Amino acid sequence: MRLSVFPAALLSCALLVTCGAAAPAGALTPAGAPASTSTSAGALTSAGVSAPAAPEPACGSPYLIDQVLPNGARWRLCWEMRVIEGLTLTGVTYTPPRGRPIKVLRSTALAQIHVPYDSGEPRFHDIGTLGENAVTLASADCPGGERRERFVCVTTRSRGHGYLKSRPGEPNLSAQGRELVVYSAFQIGWYTYLVEWAFSDDGAITPRVGATGSLSGFDTGPEHGWPTRAGNTHIEQSHTHNIFWRLDFDVDGRKNDVVEQYDFPGSGTAKRTLSRTVFTKEAKAVTAPARWWRVVDTESRNADGHRISWEIGNSDSARYRGPADEAFTRADLYVTQYRACERLASANPAPGCAASVDRYVTGQRLTDPVLWVNVSYHHVARDEDADPMPTHWQGFRITPRDAMAENPR
Amino acid sequence: MGWGRIVMVLAGAGAMALAGSLFLVSGEQGPQAARSPLRTPSPADPLTGEEISRASEIASATLRRRMTTGQVELLYIERGDDKAAEDRRRADAYIYDYAANRFIVRTVDLAEGRVVAERAGRGAQPPPSRAEGERAAELLLADRAHGGRIRAAYARAAGRPLRSASDLGLRALVYTPRPAHRGAGACATHRCVRLLVRLPDATWPDTTRIVVDLSAEKILTLEGR
Ligand SMILES: [Cu+2]
Repeated sequence: MRLSVFPAALLSCALLVTCGAAAPAGALTPAGAPASTSTSAGALTSAGVSAPAAPEPACGSPYLIDQVLPNGARWRLCWEMRVIEGLTLTGVTYTPPRGRPIKVLRSTALAQIHVPYDSGEPRFHDIGTLGENAVTLASADCPGGERRERFVCVTTRSRGHGYLKSRPGEPNLSAQGRELVVYSAFQIGWYTYLVEWAFSDDGAITPRVGATGSLSGFDTGPEHGWPTRAGNTHIEQSHTHNIFWRLDFDVDGRKNDVVEQYDFPGSGTAKRTLSRTVFTKEAKAVTAPARWWRVVDTESRNADGHRISWEIGNSDSARYRGPADEAFTRADLYVTQYRACERLASANPAPGCAASVDRYVTGQRLTDPVLWVNVSYHHVARDEDADPMPTHWQGFRITPRDAMAENPR
Repeated sequence: MGWGRIVMVLAGAGAMALAGSLFLVSGEQGPQAARSPLRTPSPADPLTGEEISRASEIASATLRRRMTTGQVELLYIERGDDKAAEDRRRADAYIYDYAANRFIVRTVDLAEGRVVAERAGRGAQPPPSRAEGERAAELLLADRAHGGRIRAAYARAAGRPLRSASDLGLRALVYTPRPAHRGAGACATHRCVRLLVRLPDATWPDTTRIVVDLSAEKILTLEGR
């Protein structure tokens, strides 16, 4: 599985990162672009080159979201409020400024909100019929945006500096980035969960969940909680929110998607070495410093001749590991072959199908990979969590890697 | 979403109900849909009210008698989104057979107007429907010890006695026994739920040790960790 020999494209890509910083400011194309990889002319269908028309969206109003951001980037997707998973996004397609549409995800939704409390009990699987518990959003709950069928907010917001580069004798080269945001809120007992996906103008996606509402008020001993309210009579029980996302990637279409893991061993030495692991079979993986994964289309290439991919970073997880009967908590990423009945990471509501994501991994060969990302947050209550509890967020990043040949600005 | 509820009210109720569901759902979808309720949905659109009613009728056609007696329950309808049938309008009917403690999913192809797949089994439990949550709350309130505690907490919070389960904010979650739990072994095969109960003062009495066995219509108390 571990490959020691890298294709030329990858090596030169690694070189580009270092060379790029020293390249003259005016260079539009990185100088190190390898000539050897620009072989198949037919594959060079990127920015500006004979862009085919966008495929017809699979949904109609009010389920279609079609947003052009100020830099000219366009996101198109469909939403659906499913009874079980709640807000579900399908057919997620990114079009870079002046570029052609690139499909990223066939579908994405939450796959579980698992909340084990620190004393060992209770332990909740909060999905659930999320769709039945969607909160009706007021117009103030959807600033600057548009509410769809009362439950979904579609809006845009600033994401800070897209870039800022000083130029001697010239104004700074800078821009404020912007992102499309799609979210719903769900009332699950005392918690209100904000379930959000942000699609930014540079092609990145940030799925995240914010927990707000109220604390449970469960009292426990000082070894399992933190005193809240006046004095020391109430110890609010600590707990973990283990949130799972299911992501059915279809990078530039369903075919030829491969999942790779990248590591950079050499800790404690002066050198770091790029190391790539290709998941040819269903797999579980855990986070590690500097580790990331990507879903790469082995056929589609950008104008630099590099394979189009989206990268998954998951470095903020508290990495909760549960007992043996909660083996689904023991990895941070699962890669499984698509199966229609595999929908939730635990308590999967399908007869004749495995019950949890750890059991979806059976060593099957991967031809159509589905990724399951697990991000946990350990919540130790504080006085500031008094009603209404401030939102605590958890999520991860999906970033384009060589989907475009240059900064999509 | 209100569709799950509409389905349960209308399942098996015939043409009048169909018209009624169109009215209800178009109300939710706004004036555009109300003017043209028969607009053909696109492949990835959610199911329309009409499709949900039709899928319910088709999926429960052979179950009518047992549904009337409460042995079998149609929980909700979910749009079928199997990649292998992406261009088809399909609906998955989630059904629970209380007599056999079996969970059934029937896939209805809406164009063909028939059930094209059925998966059934014991063990896996679908999330509770709204009706099941309400039934669990009624069972809980009828229990002398646990129900009494909830009634007392309600009276303290509201300043008046509890009239019915509908006074409570309810959220039901499937309960699956863990190895360390004692007292709820029956839930390995029965349909069991836990209830989160919201009182009018926005507090939740600790109900996490109470399990409602819907199959046996019994209240169980968890022991152990
Ligand atoms: Cu929390």
